[in-house]
Amino acid sequence: MIRFINVTKIYHPDVRALNKINLHIKPGEFVSVVGQSGTGKTTLIKSLIGEERIDEGKIVVGDWDITDIRKNEIPVLRRQIGVIFQDFKLLPKKTLRENVAFALQVCGQTRQKIRSIVPQVLKIVGLEGKMDRYPSEVSGGEQQRTAIARALVHRPKILLADEPTGNLDSINAEEIIEMLLRINKFGTTVVLVTHNREIVNRLKRRVITIENGRIVSDQAVGKYLL
Amino acid sequence: MIILSVLRAVKFSLQDLVRNFWLSIVTVVILVLALFSVNTLITIKVISQSAVDSIKEKVDINVYLKNEAAEPEIMALKAQISNINQVKSIDYVSKQQALDDFRDKHKNDPDVLEALRQLNKNPLSPTLVIKPKQVENYDDLITSINRIQNDIIESRNFDNPKQMLGKINGIAAKVNEAGMFVSFIFILITVLVVYNSIRVAIYTHQREIKIMRLVGASNWFIRAPYLFSSVIYTLLGLAVTALVFYPFLTLLQPYLETFFAGYSFNIVNYFKENFWRIFLLEFFSAAAINIFASWIAVRKYSRV
Ligand SMILES: Nc1ncnc2c1ncn2[C@@H]1O[C@H](COP(=O)(O)OP(=O)(O)OP(=O)(O)O)[C@@H](O)[C@H]1O
Ligand SMILES: [Mg+2]
Repeated sequence: MIRFINVTKIYHPDVRALNKINLHIKPGEFVSVVGQSGTGKTTLIKSLIGEERIDEGKIVVGDWDITDIRKNEIPVLRRQIGVIFQDFKLLPKKTLRENVAFALQVCGQTRQKIRSIVPQVLKIVGLEGKMDRYPSEVSGGEQQRTAIARALVHRPKILLADEPTGNLDSINAEEIIEMLLRINKFGTTVVLVTHNREIVNRLKRRVITIENGRIVSDQAVGKYLL
Repeated sequence: MIILSVLRAVKFSLQDLVRNFWLSIVTVVILVLALFSVNTLITIKVISQSAVDSIKEKVDINVYLKNEAAEPEIMALKAQISNINQVKSIDYVSKQQALDDFRDKHKNDPDVLEALRQLNKNPLSPTLVIKPKQVENYDDLITSINRIQNDIIESRNFDNPKQMLGKINGIAAKVNEAGMFVSFIFILITVLVVYNSIRVAIYTHQREIKIMRLVGASNWFIRAPYLFSSVIYTLLGLAVTALVFYPFLTLLQPYLETFFAGYSFNIVNYFKENFWRIFLLEFFSAAAINIFASWIAVRKYSRV
């Protein structure tokens, strides 16, 4: 599903954020990516959604070589990959429902489709009762769940989560991870970047550890090593 | 789906204009100033052109003939003159015709008519009225006519319009130059103001734009609202300009009527008759300029 072949990313002037990364993630996998601050985890995510271009190597998503993706193809890629972040990136002046609908509106989806999809995805993340609240009126966990709902509107095959629990207490964090596991169970490939040792150790899934832009360990049932 | 996206982009754009209300007002006002100055420039051009035309139309050479001149002789002279190159037309005005014209011209002037009646005979001479082809060749024509020796000619009368035309053209050129300069400055300011408005609009939407990119909105969809905004600015600016400009012309018209005494010219009608030509042309040029300005702003600032 995701393939990195000898990928190197150099930030100006001389930061090797990714250094000869080789990686293969199969469809339906749940992979955690761990590593200290500034080791290139976010760069990995960004290069997957065409936000950063790599300097060497090759990235393939599905059977699409996105290494030299054209600008006008990036939207197509992003509709196939859902992403969530530590800061939830919600619009404060829109309700949760409107925030999710926004993602469909700006992609030209019809009103009927929007009206049927939005409640569906909000139900998946368990927010059907709070759809008309504003982000400021719900907890951080619920905001992140809204972001997950929004990431799901295009029914992506891949969900990338860059430290989704970074701003949450352990109970809310636990909920989010549960949610990602549930989404993974329905067949979506999930890549989770995290600093949370407990979570990684409890998941008992594949763990990739990155250090200074290199993969230093890749275990099928991994532990947080650092 | 495309229509839907276009409608949504227009909606976003309108929401945005309302959200940045004061900025929109300032932008439209500047546009109105620019368009107003361009329209004033057009007005000056039209007025000076009409002034020149009205003078040119009045220019003629009168060859007054002796009272006793016989028709065949007059016709021969007429034919001779009409053979001159620079002559556009030549009319023979008989004694009686001249009197009728005179009466008609002074029909509201009882003193003149009374004097004429008391005179008890027709004091006017038969006349050949010659119109030049081009006012520029007027001097050659005068020389040619002066060269004609014929006993039936009593006198020749030449207006000299050249000085007058020169003056009008001179003034028109100066005003035109100043107008061009002012319009140019306003257009430049407009470009900067529109650019800045779009920049601010994009800035206030940075979060939205970021999210739009993230969820896979096309570049086109992200940028279109700002380009629409610049078209809407243009439309609003033109509408306000039209609303302000016509009353302005109406106020101007009485002065022009005095100036163009006897020559039918109406600046309001001119703008009414040419409304679509002028305003469509202005719309397309202004829209092009504004889209250009916002396109640069969009290219520069919507990369988040
Ligand atoms: N736009 C950029 N320009 C220059 N250097 C950058 C840029 N983005 C990231 N870097 C550098 O690249 C390296 C990797 O950054 P990255 O954000 O991928 O780290 P990370 O593993 O996500 O860290 P964290 O855990 O703190 O989020 C860091 O040294 C960072 O300073
Ligand atoms: Mg990071």
